[in-house]
Amino acid sequence: MENKLPSIEQTADLLSDIACELMSSGAHTMRILQNVSRMADNFGYRLDLSVFQLSIIMTITDRDDSTKRLTLIKKTKQLLINYTFVSNLSALSWDTHDKHLTYEEVKKRFHEIISEKRTSRWIILILVSFANAAFCGLFNGDIYAIELVFVATLVGYFVRQEMMLKHINHFVVYTTSSFVASLVAGMGYIFHWGNTPEIALASGVLYHTPGVQLINSVLDIIEGHILTGIARLVNASSLMICTAIGLFTAMLLLGLGKL
Amino acid sequence: MTTHEMIQLMTIDGILAAITAIGFAISSNPPRKAILISALLAALGHGFRFSMIKYGVDISISTFIVASFIGLLSILFARIIHCPAEVFGFPSLLPMIPGLFAYRTILSLIKFMQSSDNIKNQEFFMDFFHNGMTTLFILLALVVGVSLPVLLFPKISFSVTRRY
Repeated sequence: MENKLPSIEQTADLLSDIACELMSSGAHTMRILQNVSRMADNFGYRLDLSVFQLSIIMTITDRDDSTKRLTLIKKTKQLLINYTFVSNLSALSWDTHDKHLTYEEVKKRFHEIISEKRTSRWIILILVSFANAAFCGLFNGDIYAIELVFVATLVGYFVRQEMMLKHINHFVVYTTSSFVASLVAGMGYIFHWGNTPEIALASGVLYHTPGVQLINSVLDIIEGHILTGIARLVNASSLMICTAIGLFTAMLLLGLGKL
Repeated sequence: MTTHEMIQLMTIDGILAAITAIGFAISSNPPRKAILISALLAALGHGFRFSMIKYGVDISISTFIVASFIGLLSILFARIIHCPAEVFGFPSLLPMIPGLFAYRTILSLIKFMQSSDNIKNQEFFMDFFHNGMTTLFILLALVVGVSLPVLLFPKISFSVTRRY
């Protein structure tokens, strides 16, 4: 049994990878802490972890011999919300705990999980457009407004996907994409389509609202991880401000003053 | 308004909310089973919130009630499909995120900066506070509501992905 246990360096590397992956897939701080500590426990180590927006700091200590310890800092990747990873990694941590998986097995399953592909971008594009059009309907927009929002979202989200693929700065992406979407959505005002062009304009950029980040930030603050929560809140708010800047630039160009 | 009309409006509202939830959920790449459940929860939640607002309940209170209801149901479903509750609990809240109020807040702030007319400025300032507070309270109501079951039953909600 003794020689089966992985070395402290191996464990630290694997666990910090898992923590980073959870952070960039949009898990909240409490879940990251619990999942990673549970796995460390299985390997016979004690773990202290603090999670920040750009890096994680982890100290790992041998349970039997407290002179054996290791601290490391690891950069996290850019945020790309992926709930399949969160769900599967959480299941992996319980499996590790219950079935006493060995280091090699955990490592193999971790790499299987993170090599899973995302949903195709074209399906996402179409479904997000339908979603935003339905959102416009929830705000009592008439059928002209709904159609307009559908087209606006299609164009705006396509611009966002293309720019994201080219790794352009997030703030620039959000501003440009919302500017383009609002230009399209503002056409209802210019050509007098339907009776609710203002709703089309207002809900044309709502697909940009970083909902998961906002929820995560408040949840972190409630659970006591105030620093991480505030970092997430500031991040989400700056993305929303960028969206608003794009929207207002389009409104200025089209000569509109009301939302 | 008759009960029949009310149910009809609620159904339309629920269907629209379900479409919204599917679209916004899929951009966070959840497991397939979770998408359908979040659509169902969003339809239930948004439909009930709609009727509550129609009967005169304040928007943040009705959001709170609906969010805690969604939180309870999502823990139930999480036990069934072995998936963390937030994977479909959060996407089903996305149709209720106060995006429109948030953008109006920023707009009134920008107008306040641009204008030098005192009377108009007062109006913009009131707009800023009204929209900003609405945003804040709805957001708090959403998150506190949905995580209330998690805070009340931490053992159950953190072990849903456990299979043994």
